[in-house]
Amino acid sequence: MAAVQVSEAEKVYIMHGVRDDLRLDGRGCEDYRHMEIETDVVSNTDGSAKISLGHTDVLVGIKAEIGKPKPMVPDEGYLEFFVDCSANATPEFEGRGGEELGMGLSNTLYKVFNNRHSVDLRSLCICPGESCWVLYVDVLLLQCDGNLFDAISIAIKAALFNTRIPKVHISEDEEGVKEIVLSDDPYDCMRLNVENVPCIVSLCKIGHRHVVDATLQEKACSVASLLISVTHKGMVTCVRKMGGGSLDPESIFEMTEAGKRVGKALHAPLMELLQKEESLGKKRQKVGFLG
Amino acid sequence: MLKSKTFVKKTRAGGVLKIVREHYLRDDIWCGSEVCKECKDEAPVLQEDACIESNLCAYPHYLIPDTNVVLHQIDILEDPIIRNVIILQTVMQEVRHRSAPIYKRIKDAIHEKEKHFYAFTNEHHRETFIEREQGESANDRNDRAIRVAAKWYTDHLAKETNGGSLKVVLLTDDRANKEKAEQHGLIVYRCEEYIKSLIGNPELVDRLALQSDERNEITGSKLLFPEHLPLSRIQSGIKNRVFLQGTFHASRDNYLEGTVYINREGEDINEVLLQGLQNLNRAVNQDVVAVELFPKERWVAPSSVVLQDDSPNDEDAEEDETEKKLKSEPLESSILKPTGRVVGIIKRNWRPYCGMLSQSIIKEATRHLFTPADRRIPRIRIETRQAANLVGQRIMVAIDGWPKNSRYPNGHFVKNLGTAGDKETETEVLLLEHDVPHQPFSQAVLSFLPKMPWSITEEDVKVRADLRHLCVCSVDPPGCTDIDDALHCRDLPNGNLEVGVHIADVSHFIRPGNALDQEAASRGTTVYLCGKRIDMVPELLSSNLCSLRSNVERLAFSCIWEMNHNAEIIKTHFTKSIINSKASLTYAEAQMRIDDTTMNDDITKSLRGLNKLAKILKGQRIEKGALTLSSPEVRFHMDSETHDPIDLQTKELKETNSMVEEFMLLANISVAQKIYDDFSECALLRKHPSPPPSNYDILIKAAKSRDFSIHTDSAKALADSLNDATIKNFPYFNTLLRILATRCMMQAVYFCSGMDSDFHHYGLASPIYTHFTSPIRRYSDIIVHRLLAVAINADSTYPDLMDKHKQSALCNNLNYRHKMAQYAQRASVAFHTQLFFKNKGIINEEGFILFVRKNAIIILIPKFGLEGTVFFENKDKPSPHLSFDSEGPTLKVEEHTFHIFDKVKVTISLDASNIQHQRIRMALTEPVIPGVSVPAPESEPEAKKPKLDR
Repeated sequence: MAAVQVSEAEKVYIMHGVRDDLRLDGRGCEDYRHMEIETDVVSNTDGSAKISLGHTDVLVGIKAEIGKPKPMVPDEGYLEFFVDCSANATPEFEGRGGEELGMGLSNTLYKVFNNRHSVDLRSLCICPGESCWVLYVDVLLLQCDGNLFDAISIAIKAALFNTRIPKVHISEDEEGVKEIVLSDDPYDCMRLNVENVPCIVSLCKIGHRHVVDATLQEKACSVASLLISVTHKGMVTCVRKMGGGSLDPESIFEMTEAGKRVGKALHAPLMELLQKEESLGKKRQKVGFLG
Repeated sequence: MLKSKTFVKKTRAGGVLKIVREHYLRDDIWCGSEVCKECKDEAPVLQEDACIESNLCAYPHYLIPDTNVVLHQIDILEDPIIRNVIILQTVMQEVRHRSAPIYKRIKDAIHEKEKHFYAFTNEHHRETFIEREQGESANDRNDRAIRVAAKWYTDHLAKETNGGSLKVVLLTDDRANKEKAEQHGLIVYRCEEYIKSLIGNPELVDRLALQSDERNEITGSKLLFPEHLPLSRIQSGIKNRVFLQGTFHASRDNYLEGTVYINREGEDINEVLLQGLQNLNRAVNQDVVAVELFPKERWVAPSSVVLQDDSPNDEDAEEDETEKKLKSEPLESSILKPTGRVVGIIKRNWRPYCGMLSQSIIKEATRHLFTPADRRIPRIRIETRQAANLVGQRIMVAIDGWPKNSRYPNGHFVKNLGTAGDKETETEVLLLEHDVPHQPFSQAVLSFLPKMPWSITEEDVKVRADLRHLCVCSVDPPGCTDIDDALHCRDLPNGNLEVGVHIADVSHFIRPGNALDQEAASRGTTVYLCGKRIDMVPELLSSNLCSLRSNVERLAFSCIWEMNHNAEIIKTHFTKSIINSKASLTYAEAQMRIDDTTMNDDITKSLRGLNKLAKILKGQRIEKGALTLSSPEVRFHMDSETHDPIDLQTKELKETNSMVEEFMLLANISVAQKIYDDFSECALLRKHPSPPPSNYDILIKAAKSRDFSIHTDSAKALADSLNDATIKNFPYFNTLLRILATRCMMQAVYFCSGMDSDFHHYGLASPIYTHFTSPIRRYSDIIVHRLLAVAINADSTYPDLMDKHKQSALCNNLNYRHKMAQYAQRASVAFHTQLFFKNKGIINEEGFILFVRKNAIIILIPKFGLEGTVFFENKDKPSPHLSFDSEGPTLKVEEHTFHIFDKVKVTISLDASNIQHQRIRMALTEPVIPGVSVPAPESEPEAKKPKLDR
């Protein structure tokens, strides 16, 4: 991942700040940076969202395609993730530089989102055992300024909220040959229930305390961090430790509690914002990438 | 301004795609009206005073038809009375999607200046573009787009004319659309309503297409036909091999029978028989249909009964009895054919049909039955108020639909072609019925003609061989103006002969790909009718610039051989050239010069040399097994004033005919070899497949009846045995045999060398053959010219010429056009023969029996080259005792036995009892069979012929 050079003195300064609940940019330990979200930014996807969190910029596009359900779960659709680390974000991603990070990210996203507790996978089923919707979630990192997981997870939630899957039904003739019939009306769409879609909160252990939404400098001061995916009810669906350092059990407990609290607080304004944006309908002035 | 259009589409693989297209809106799309000052249109299409007298709209107005009006009432819109019409882009797109032919017609109408049709691109206009709303179907959206555009026009014109009288009128037959439009304050009428309101044009009303949804449902609710399956069911059925897809061909002789030819490969059944109205289920000739096969127990044999649908009234009953007649055939399992029924129509192939009106018995009725000239087409019910005027006229009718509770399809009147029996009208009819393109050449086509006065330029002289000094002459039938070949022959210093065939260089004038070329490619061939020629290329080329007339300099494509005196080719040379023909001769004139020993000029010497070589060439060809076949061809002597035929004679062949023919064959073969050597994949060649042995059965049987045996193992054997079959005191016998042999042959066809492996020309006994010598009247020759020009580096090539698939598609069209041209030609001869006999009254003639059938004999009259049938079965009279022996074949009528080739005497007269299908009737006078033969007319010349019913 993109790293910044931080001197020892700077590190000490940052750690002391965190100890006193005052970070470099004036935030408290459990505060997020300024966040901007826009949905429906890529017209040829079925759902898309762009988020900027500080200087971290992430674009998520979702394409729905018809595929075959997995044999273990014939009545469910599934999600596929691909994270593209654009060389725009940092020169290190050039060539195959971002591949490893991308794989890591998409594996984590797969764990967090592709289960029936997070997304209603049953609703993606078209014909059990034969066909289902596969949602291809493409994440594009446009700029990295720390805290990728949180930004990506929020963007995915927004994009899933924005996703409209064309309605189809199965017609069957006497011979039993099934055929997928597509609705003629482009407005005739299926929406996903995103109520239970979790958000990831990553907490960085700095000194004896932990912070959310760490910047790159803060990240450099931390030896270990914890990813916690939290639903709107505060349920933790996934916990994962990142980084080379170790965490003692007591601080893991503390961080989980903090993650739950922050995560819960994150969902409500997000949903409110998304609904407000949708209610503007077509009149909404699109900002896009130049705004 | 940019918008994007989004829609979802299902791909063939079953996936679902979201497609987003950019859509630009503009503010510089003009309204196209002369009135408008705001729009900066340079040449407005719509007139300021758009007046058409109507009860409903007394003010000048523009019409805006909706999609269904365009689709169904295109005949009305094409009428010259209807002008100042705005065709919206929405409508155009929908029409294009739903019917390609109608799309083409409406586009043609827009291009026609006098029609004042304006295409308004409302979908790209900033103020008339609308987006599809939630819950709105595509159709509703389009209807709304039409209303929005109409509203825009209304407001726009009102503003421009300061509330003047110019208005727009929306035409729609959709009730919901009409109501909504009225709510928006638009002037809107149903099409029918509007057309009926037009003062002084009642004939337009007849051309209204019937709307099936409304009260026009003719006859009760009794369902006569099973419902057609929806297309989706048909398609899945075909996929699962439950149904078969094929083209429906109605039987010419029996309206209750038809055959579907299955055009799928790998299918073991390629013909399905259909019998009975129910099973035909409203299929019309040439429709693409889906059929379901019956189980084997229900298979039947094609009936040999001739049935014509001639019940006088419009009743839907009384069919059962006739159908029973079909069923009572004795069944032999060997002749049973796969039988089935039509379950659905995949594609209708309706076209406007020529024919005549059979007036309803009720005088005031407006519904009448129309009988098409083509027997394979069912009668069509049309609605007209001018029936009295249309009786005895040839008219054109289009089918609108065939509801399942109607015995006949419903249609509407399209146009009146003229009085039946009239020469002009009948020619028009036969051209239309044989799909011969005969409209005058369009401006676009004519624009590619060379500018007059035309002359040979310096550049031409530079790149071409100058052969103007040669003594070239042409030999053609009398009256020929499109001379495409000329010949020369001279002695060379080394003792050999130089022979040249010079062909008009049409490909110099017709450049690939332009409108002129496309038109010629589509016409394919010039069609020669009696006293009329339908040119493939405009007259300026066919009769002037390309025609190798005498004493003018012309461009030619020459094929020059060096030959020794045994007509062996030593050297072949092809070149583009300039020639100056010294004489245009007729066959007779050329023959006279050759025979007249006193003439010794260059032309005559040249002709003698050619004639000598031609005889040797012919001998060689016959040695190789080329067939000399015969078909009775007739020529009419036309009255120069009335163009009526005054005499009729069979074509006579002179030595010079065969002289020209021989060199043409030689040129064609030489060229075929050359282009095939250079372009083995894309040479356009002509082949004549050898017929399957079973084709010869009739010939062998016929010869056997006179104790001759015909060997058909090879062309050579056939030619030899035909030569041997002569009877001393019966000179015509050999000709008769050859006529029969001709009937056994296959059709020669064009093909692309890359798509086929069998090149053999059976009739000419040549391993390879093409057409090179008549580019003025055949498009195939133009292509061959182009290929040859490329081969000798005289011209550049182009992609389509080297594309074997395109070449092959072209061949298919040419083959079709040639076949149709032949049919049209025969129909024209038949019609003129009728005219001739109409003027002659009843004639007594001698003839020969050509075929013997179960209930009739077919007789050939050598004097007129005319063939006719004498039937021995009558509808009303008791039939004479008949016994048929298929081995002979012989037919015993009462006491007399008819053999093939027997000489008989017949009376010939014209049967005009059915104006639509006039025919030559023959009746037997000799041998005398009581109750069958009729007395010879000499015995009672003034007595009117008793009507002899068939």
